[in-house]
Amino acid sequence: MVSSMESMAKTQTNGRPEPLSPERLAELRRPAKYKTPEEKRAALKRATEGLRVKVRVTPDMYGRR
Amino acid sequence: MTSAGARRPTSRGVFAIEEEELLLPDPIALDTSFVVEALIATQPLHVVCRVFLDQIDASGVSITTSDLLSVELAEAAFAIALKERWGSSWRRHRTDGRARRRAGRLLDDTVARYETVLASKDHIPVPVGEVTNGARGFMTAYGLASCDALHAASAVAAGAKAIVTIDTGFAFLPSTALLVYTDRSRVASCRNKRPH
Repeated sequence: MVSSMESMAKTQTNGRPEPLSPERLAELRRPAKYKTPEEKRAALKRATEGLRVKVRVTPDMYGRR
Repeated sequence: MTSAGARRPTSRGVFAIEEEELLLPDPIALDTSFVVEALIATQPLHVVCRVFLDQIDASGVSITTSDLLSVELAEAAFAIALKERWGSSWRRHRTDGRARRRAGRLLDDTVARYETVLASKDHIPVPVGEVTNGARGFMTAYGLASCDALHAASAVAAGAKAIVTIDTGFAFLPSTALLVYTDRSRVASCRNKRPH
């Protein structure tokens, strides 16, 4: 599976996606700010609890079909 | 254990995120549709998606997203404010300023929550400008919609083997391009959409 995907990405140059270089990926990568399991759990709790809205969000509301 | 490397032939590269022992590839790509459900507590799949975010944390894998995601989140926040005020006619009131204060607060809150999710994991953000050619390729080869194509191309560019999404449109890609991790109710639909 992995090898077939790598092969596909490397050989398709006619406009289909290619993986970014390892150097570019290293430039883009941002290390986690929260390191410990406790910090991560607390961050996720803050991020996902309490945001309530009065309507159902459907894909057309962010530009999808 | 279900894994990307040892999946059943009938899976067609589509897996339910409710499966507790689902193996997560590193990195794993997140789509806007999944993030919306995870962040907004009143969404029908909130609990399922929130639990899967916990699973990503526990697994220690990194995540990758397209920069398009934060723009789509902002659009969703704006549309929520309009729809709360104007109901089903919200599209006609886009330029009406009366919902903008609420929209601004919602937008700030939603984006802050998204950034908190990103900060809890190693994250690879992929600029839209680096994958536009690839997105065009996915559109013309498999008929993906433009936004889906950008997210899929970003995932491939970052080396992700799977995308987490509630949007069945990603299943138009062959399983060799990207595995689809979605909620249980969409698995059959995604498998049916996979190209032969």
